[in-house]
Amino acid sequence: MSERLQQAIATLETIILGKPGQLRLAVACLLARGHLLIEDVPGVGKTTLAHALAQVFGLAWQRVQFTSDLLPADIIGVSVFDRNTQQFHFRKGPLFTQLLLADEVNRASPKTQSALLEAMEERQVSTDLTTYRLPDPFFVVATQNPREQAGTYALPESQLDRFLMRIELGYPDAAHERTLLREGERRDLLPQLAPVLDAEHLLALQTAVRGQHVSDALLDYVQSLIAHTRAHDDIRVGLSPRAGQGLLRAAQAWAAICGRHAVLPDDVQAVFAAVAGHRLERRDAQDAADGLRLASRVVETVPVPA
Amino acid sequence: MKPPLPARIRPLAWVCAAYGSAVLLHLDRLPPWIPALALVAMIARMLIAVRGARLPGAWARVAFALLLTVGVLATFRTLNGLAAGSALLVSMGALKLLETRARRDDHVMLAVALFLLLAACLDRQALVRMPLYALQLWIDCAALAVIATPQALAGLRAPLALAGRALAYALPLALVLFLTFPRLQGGFWALPHANRAVTGLSDEMSPGQIDELTDSDAPAFRVEFDGAPPPPPARYWRGPVLQDFDGTTWRRDRGRFFLEPDVQFEGPTWRYRVTLEPTGRNWWFALESVVAAPDHRARLTFDRRLLSAEPVDEVVSFAATSRARTVTHEPLSKLGYRYSLALPAGQNPRTHALAQRLRAASPDAAAFARAVLDHFAREGFEYTLTPPRLDRNAVDEFLFGTRRGFCGHYASAFATLMRAGGVPARVVTGYLGGEWNPIGRYFVVRQSDAHAWVEIWLEGRGWTRIDPTAVVAPERLQRGLYDLLPGAAPVVARLARNNPWIGELAQAWDALDTAWRKRVLEFGAASQFALLERLGFDSPRWQQLGALLGAGLALWLAWMSWQSRFWLRTSRPDRLGRAWQSLGAKYARVGLARGAAEAPLAYAARIGERRPDLAAEALDLVGRYAALRYGPGCDARAIRSFARAVRRVRVTSGVRAA
Repeated sequence: MSERLQQAIATLETIILGKPGQLRLAVACLLARGHLLIEDVPGVGKTTLAHALAQVFGLAWQRVQFTSDLLPADIIGVSVFDRNTQQFHFRKGPLFTQLLLADEVNRASPKTQSALLEAMEERQVSTDLTTYRLPDPFFVVATQNPREQAGTYALPESQLDRFLMRIELGYPDAAHERTLLREGERRDLLPQLAPVLDAEHLLALQTAVRGQHVSDALLDYVQSLIAHTRAHDDIRVGLSPRAGQGLLRAAQAWAAICGRHAVLPDDVQAVFAAVAGHRLERRDAQDAADGLRLASRVVETVPVPA
Repeated sequence: MKPPLPARIRPLAWVCAAYGSAVLLHLDRLPPWIPALALVAMIARMLIAVRGARLPGAWARVAFALLLTVGVLATFRTLNGLAAGSALLVSMGALKLLETRARRDDHVMLAVALFLLLAACLDRQALVRMPLYALQLWIDCAALAVIATPQALAGLRAPLALAGRALAYALPLALVLFLTFPRLQGGFWALPHANRAVTGLSDEMSPGQIDELTDSDAPAFRVEFDGAPPPPPARYWRGPVLQDFDGTTWRRDRGRFFLEPDVQFEGPTWRYRVTLEPTGRNWWFALESVVAAPDHRARLTFDRRLLSAEPVDEVVSFAATSRARTVTHEPLSKLGYRYSLALPAGQNPRTHALAQRLRAASPDAAAFARAVLDHFAREGFEYTLTPPRLDRNAVDEFLFGTRRGFCGHYASAFATLMRAGGVPARVVTGYLGGEWNPIGRYFVVRQSDAHAWVEIWLEGRGWTRIDPTAVVAPERLQRGLYDLLPGAAPVVARLARNNPWIGELAQAWDALDTAWRKRVLEFGAASQFALLERLGFDSPRWQQLGALLGAGLALWLAWMSWQSRFWLRTSRPDRLGRAWQSLGAKYARVGLARGAAEAPLAYAARIGERRPDLAAEALDLVGRYAALRYGPGCDARAIRSFARAVRRVRVTSGVRAA
């Protein structure tokens, strides 16, 4: 199983060039049953990453471009009246898939956003007295463009908390940029990509991640990290208990990716910025990068117990 | 919902509790206006805190301070001494309470409370007060804890539990200091006490003036015998000897003394130790007849009583030896005759007549004494504690009129008759009897055991004790006063007499109290040296005591460190953690110290990067550590083996691969 996972990651690396860290974080997020928020300018390969993940993990996927006039029904689905049967009949929206790419999620109205985010949290959708379970695995990759302000609704903190991780892709370095320029559109490679895993494998992996050993010493460390964010003077709100759980699960997933059976402080540190970055906010300044900086400062400050 | 109280309330309430309870310790020693002032100050301060009102200004406080000082001065006529000092401290504490703003002021108030506790300890050390002092100390410590961390110690239980634990930890240290801290010889701590001692005795006796016999049940002294105690009729405890009689009052005339002939001792010997209650007098009480002065603190007077150099202001204990009788064949000096026969002229004529008649009928002095005693036995005399008043010719009235009285009356009448008959006589006061405490194995002699008897001079025998009371009330020699006259006993004594268990309880308590005095309060330099001897030091010296003190302190510190490993667990790593730290220390020598926040694998990677020659070993050790610390299952053997591996690591500097 672990070999398959390594193979999947290796395959992804052939598509997304020069981003091994972000790639692994995305996979860790998937394995930890969390949802991923990618925040970056357009054209750095956000969609390609989502698509490649779906392809390599053998998942059915849907892409929804969020716009200001998108309605909740547009993603959840609608009940339509069937003339033949004289009955209402629920037509599932694009939400009912294994991997949903919610592109530019901050462009949609808060109403639509919250419909999506609620579905993410509950992993089910309720309409007309009927509850529809979403498929399992269910993984949302949302993207937003932080530079674009006009006509957007930035996700509020309460909604950001629903994403296990937020990552930034950033520009490729010179060598990878050269490869990109030479080889052309990466997305074209995707259809030729054979899936390494399938949904069942992924579920097994997700279960295995939960079983990763967590020692008391590690919990001490995780707790002191969380406590530090809550006691820190510069931080407006510390990490929530949900964030703490997510941090631990993400670290478990990271340990699994690294081929370990026990979670080490290294694993916690590796995922901490991605998990905590969008949840921490400075008291004074308002800048997305601030959260990341705060998170890395927390990691650099809190001692790892001997 | 009530609005939350200001944060200062809790420390302030504790400060008030500590101060208030300290004032309570002094309550019966203070004039009523001072505790009332303290109460008002506490209420005012709490109200100010709750309402958020302003504290009184500086001028008001200065005025108050002056006023209070004057008030204390007016009440005590001094600011010196324990009582006035405590009163001043209490009133200034009340004033300080009205200017407590910050933690610093709280600490000052706590210092006041602790100082009041110290003053109370100096003032009174009775066992019954010890629980109060302990409670006060507990409250003070809890208050200190709350002042230090008001948020952390909510409620009543948390601070009290913390303070209790701290005091429990301090207890062994207190014990070590108590046992070994060098005592200053002499009464360094003895502050001038107001003379408030009680005694059933005085150096005067005026039978008939007032019913002067004390009804106090308070102990006068306690006696432990080596071996068998004397039988009840021999338990005469000698006190002031009254020589001078003016017709109504017997006095101990300080100016008159005469040389007594040497005496031989006769009869059984008793060795015993007396522990005197404070009386403020120079009298030491010993069993008749004491052989010699017990020690340098007292001397034996010509009339064979013990006189101490210093007044008995605190509990005094001494060892003495007594024999049953003294005998001398030498004659009494002329001066002795003169003093011991003196009677005021023209008073008590009927007594004189009676004495002459009886003397004429008796062949010698001893027979005369017997005849007088017979007279007492025959003529219907009655023993009572509430005799009628007597006038100028007190002895005449008593002998021929009222015929009712207690020991003083009989002693006075008998001595007068003896003198009138030409036999030298004097009145001896002291105590008779004593109650056996089977728990503590000692006798308690109480103020109610006070007694008076007579000594007459018989040629060829010397001073001979005659107790005329014994003729009238022979039971008095066998039993205590209250057995004789149950109605005279105070309520408590009466209760104890009617309910044996109360008596037993009282005896048990008295035994405990005595043990407390003997073992704790009187534990001084001598007891310390005795302890050293028992510990096997042949010739105890101060240096050994000091060494013992040091050893005790070291032991206590070691114990505390051992205890504190639980408190400091989070900061002090376990064995694995120590091995890990020592590994880090080894790499630190070549500039590769582990950052506090550096995770293990990242550390290994950094070492490998900087020193590829160390990479393999570092990776292996770090991996082992990570597996032990964060992996499932971690057995002690693996940890030991890891620690050994760390010890074997030799990090050499300089070899830096390109």
